[in-house]
Amino acid sequence: MLQVPGRVLVYLPRDPTVRFLLTSTVFLTATFAASSARSDDVTPAPRRPRRDATEEPTTAERTTRREHGDESAEPKAATQRASREDASRREDEPPLAERSSTAPSDKRTPMADAPPKVEPREPVSPPPSEPAPTLARAGLVVPTNTNGHRGTFVFGSYGRVLAASDAAGRPARDSDIVAYGSRVDAVNYVELELRREDHWEATGIDTRIVSTLAIGNSIFHHNGVFDAQVAVRNLYLEAMNLGHRGLSAWAGSRMYRGDDIYLLNFWPLDNLNTMGAGLRFEAPTHTIAQLHIGFGQPDSPFYKQRASRPSPLNQFGAATIDLLDRQRWIGSARLEQPIRFGEKVGMKLVAYGEAHRLPAGERETARDGVFEAVPAEAGFVVGGQLGAWTGERNSHLNVFVRYAGGLAAYGEFATPSSLGVDRTTSGARELQVAFGGNYELGRFAVMAGGYLRSFRNASRALDASDVDEGSVIVRPQVWFRDWLGIGVEGGYQLQQRGTLVVPEEGGSPAPIVATMPRFAVMPFISPAGRGSFSRPMMWLIYSAGFRDAGARALYPVDDPFRTRAVEHFFGVGAEWWFGSSSYGGTLQ
Amino acid sequence: MTRAIGFLGAALLAMTTGCMSFDGLDAPVRLETNVADWRDRVIYQVLVDRFADGDAGNNFNVDMSSQARWHGGDWAGLEGKLDYLSELGVGALWISPVYRNVETDASVDGYHGYWPQDFTTTNIHYGDLMALRSLVRSAHDRGIAVILDVVTNHVGQLFFYDINLNGNPDESVRGSGEQSEVTHINEYDPDFDPRGIQAETSLGEAGPAPVIFNHDPASNHMPPVPVVLQRPEMYNRRGRTVSFEDPDQLLHGDFPGGLKDLDTTRCEVKQAMVDVYARWVELTDVDGFRIDTIKHVDREFWRYFAQKVRQRLARQGKTNFFMFGEAFDGREELVGAYTKSELPSAETLARENECVEDGLGITGDQLDGVFHFPQYYQVIRDVFRDSLSTDRIERLWSDRTKHYGTSANELGTGLPPVKTLVNFIDNHDVPRFLFEGDAAGLRLALLFVMSQDGLPCIYYGTEQDLRGGNDPANREDMWLTGYATTGDTFRYTQALARLRAKYVALRRGDARVVWASARTGAEQDAGIFAFERSGGDAGDAYALVVMNTNREHVSAPVFGGAPMKVGVNPGTVLVDVLGSPSSPPGTKYTVSGQGTLLIELPPRTGALLVPQSEL
Repeated sequence: MLQVPGRVLVYLPRDPTVRFLLTSTVFLTATFAASSARSDDVTPAPRRPRRDATEEPTTAERTTRREHGDESAEPKAATQRASREDASRREDEPPLAERSSTAPSDKRTPMADAPPKVEPREPVSPPPSEPAPTLARAGLVVPTNTNGHRGTFVFGSYGRVLAASDAAGRPARDSDIVAYGSRVDAVNYVELELRREDHWEATGIDTRIVSTLAIGNSIFHHNGVFDAQVAVRNLYLEAMNLGHRGLSAWAGSRMYRGDDIYLLNFWPLDNLNTMGAGLRFEAPTHTIAQLHIGFGQPDSPFYKQRASRPSPLNQFGAATIDLLDRQRWIGSARLEQPIRFGEKVGMKLVAYGEAHRLPAGERETARDGVFEAVPAEAGFVVGGQLGAWTGERNSHLNVFVRYAGGLAAYGEFATPSSLGVDRTTSGARELQVAFGGNYELGRFAVMAGGYLRSFRNASRALDASDVDEGSVIVRPQVWFRDWLGIGVEGGYQLQQRGTLVVPEEGGSPAPIVATMPRFAVMPFISPAGRGSFSRPMMWLIYSAGFRDAGARALYPVDDPFRTRAVEHFFGVGAEWWFGSSSYGGTLQ
Repeated sequence: MTRAIGFLGAALLAMTTGCMSFDGLDAPVRLETNVADWRDRVIYQVLVDRFADGDAGNNFNVDMSSQARWHGGDWAGLEGKLDYLSELGVGALWISPVYRNVETDASVDGYHGYWPQDFTTTNIHYGDLMALRSLVRSAHDRGIAVILDVVTNHVGQLFFYDINLNGNPDESVRGSGEQSEVTHINEYDPDFDPRGIQAETSLGEAGPAPVIFNHDPASNHMPPVPVVLQRPEMYNRRGRTVSFEDPDQLLHGDFPGGLKDLDTTRCEVKQAMVDVYARWVELTDVDGFRIDTIKHVDREFWRYFAQKVRQRLARQGKTNFFMFGEAFDGREELVGAYTKSELPSAETLARENECVEDGLGITGDQLDGVFHFPQYYQVIRDVFRDSLSTDRIERLWSDRTKHYGTSANELGTGLPPVKTLVNFIDNHDVPRFLFEGDAAGLRLALLFVMSQDGLPCIYYGTEQDLRGGNDPANREDMWLTGYATTGDTFRYTQALARLRAKYVALRRGDARVVWASARTGAEQDAGIFAFERSGGDAGDAYALVVMNTNREHVSAPVFGGAPMKVGVNPGTVLVDVLGSPSSPPGTKYTVSGQGTLLIELPPRTGALLVPQSEL
């Protein structure tokens, strides 16, 4: 039973997913109703001036470490199962699990933007009171009025390109030993977003249709293969101001994310890729409530089994049928409450949860005609975030805590492995604690991030996919001119897996702890001016990583990373973002 | 909610302090002598892959639809069933080889453990070192010793002979067609050639065929570890054994299936085998070795291996380490030869001592025991399954001291090998008894091996009436039985184990046949076999076992009016502590004034009698 405001007792079904959805719906409805009562006579919050894309707040993307088919080279591929079972959610994203995020649009209030916040630097950016209009920003289409609405096409993009080499002349390669290390050697990736935005005068509703194509490694000019890995990262319609200012709904295929840690390329709290729908409500008090339900069916026998059967109707040939065909239901709820301290300083609290459900099924064993039951799965995520910002430039700090259990511990695209004795994910768990922040003062800025993560699969015994790991990274930067500066990055990565290794010098099998300090120097050109998040930016990179014996043991025999104690990395890269909508919230 | 917060806090603390609990690895293993007298132990043989699956996390490439593929059993599962084994009365657990194997070969998996590739790491299908240590520790906590299965004769199919010198492992090159019916043989498993496998081209032979190690990580056809075994000269390289009657082929041929035969006369091989296997003991404190295919290994190897393992373990405080071998052969003189303390010629001994690095010269000591395969054929099969005459048992036993070692090995079990033969009904290499035998015959066989001189060895699932035929049909999934403890055979086996534990005569008494019969027809004593256990290390304790193996009629140990004489005083009351359907436990028999005993047994039943004074 659930007791909601007004002391109405509600019966809840036993199914955890349904319970979650019902509970969340009640929660959202209650929030909406309460705010409606309060906001009827409230003057709408002033719209924040539209800003130039290069001034958007934290624009970050993240990547999985094996997303570009380099699994054999990754530490997690050091063991047979690791590449799949290591498998926390973030490592089981699709190959192009990259995305960018941009700031809220002009309709967002300042408080809803945080963190991180952007304070346009006077010398470079247009003043806040003189925003560049969307059309001008996109430079594509003139508004129309033919059907009683105004509309525009918007183009946005996130991208990064890196040309680099190691000291032996081989192509540079991500050398992190943890899931989220330094992004200086992150592989090439670009998102191209084409968005249609409309205001429908007859209803007062705003809509946007977002389509985002993502392209990952490899690049034609590098391998000469006239082909590319392309994925659709967003394809959805969102309608805003649905009968109530602040209420929006979306449906389609969408990246659904909150705040990230830029240096680690990591979304520590909420980061989902599903097909589904969601609701969002932002109250005049700036409380934001989000609710979403989505589905996913990773390409894996864990979810789907196809089989061949004789054609019906006494026809020649065979027909293909889906014996096992189940998809994961994921519901998420997010509640964000900003708190202002004066004009600039503020903080916010975020509570977050997910419910995962995978129905039972049946599959055929290796022996034709012999079937076995596949049990149902369930999982959950609970987490929270505390953010604070100074209101000066992009200075902010976020702290995250997240705990996932059961199916959810494996992430939405994972094929759970190392199951429990009951052949389910029950007992799998993941705990993460993370922080990320930025501080800028004059010509100086420093970014920092770090996380600790403990993942245990459902199997009671330790094995190679059980991981404790963490990393911390700091990047101070200084600008010699408004467009020229240098960054220095130092980081430390540590990982322990639940497996035993015979030491190189012989002896008994023992647990290994892998460590890797990293150091990088990055002189850069920043055409958009100063700022840690000022983009576009191009840079030279020299990086050195120092592997101990434990780190080297993560790699297979004959892998250069197994033999090299020091990894040198030279490169030149570029990164940009502008006009992309792929942020956790909506453009309201 | 409070608990959830508490858990989160604890988890956070554990994570931030770097706690990943590797149970038992922090403390070094201390070697101990865990068995006082091996005759007190009932051995239970487990095929780990088939016994219990306690960790689905290691179920890689499991395919239970085929009996020749991985099925998912592991050490964690076995550990979870130790209470079941304790309830049955098991005193020693013989487990499958622990090292890493070839994963799969020709659509057959290495689930059994007899295809070694890396002798130094665990078979990850079974678990890691923590799981193995945990199993051993838990077994010891229950008073159960653990015996590792080890292979020294060969490695898996890890290389091929490049007969046609093209560098590829060809599936079909010209076969001899002379020694076997095979006329097209492949380069993995060519027929035996006493000169060594020869390369040949269209112009004729071209000298010894090069040995090329495979390199297929997916199936784990990889060069062997330790690395000394990656040298071709460590192998005999003579091809597949075609005739087991030919001593050269028997010792130097590859085991059928392409299992490459190690040259066990080489010092490097001897030392490597001692190192890798003594190390497993040092890592886990296991208590014995069951050694595979001993008759395919040069005799000198066993002198070196057995003595150096004993010496190395004794230096660390572990004695009574039991090493028994498998010579799959019905010939007593051959099987027993591996247990005798015999010195080779002075010249041979001098050569063998060249391998000694610790200054302790080689003596004649070999293994502590062997599987009593001759008894399997001549008694279990012929008598209990096929109801042939019982006098063959007496003949078999009468020659024991002639064929088996009669003096204890130095630093060994303290017992002569003839006293520690391992008696079995069936195992993973032969059909289960019930495949062709009947339940009554199985009971007689159980009574026999559990009461005779030596160590009884029960193959897993016997107590659950499993009845599979030849390999791999005899390697059933134990979990399908539900590990029931209420079945008749389970209870019968359990009762025998308890009686063996209770009555010292059944464990340590000398054996003396008091009745055996050559008759199998309508005669009064047809099918009767009776033996006493007394004296020896059992002092005055006494037990008498009487069995009627014939299928047709009641029999008694009487012939021509002369009843069976027993070795206890006239007037002694003997009580049947086992019982049978026609004679409940507690049935009493009194020894006559002439020292004879009158007892009649229905077809295929037995009695286990002890003096009333010893109850």
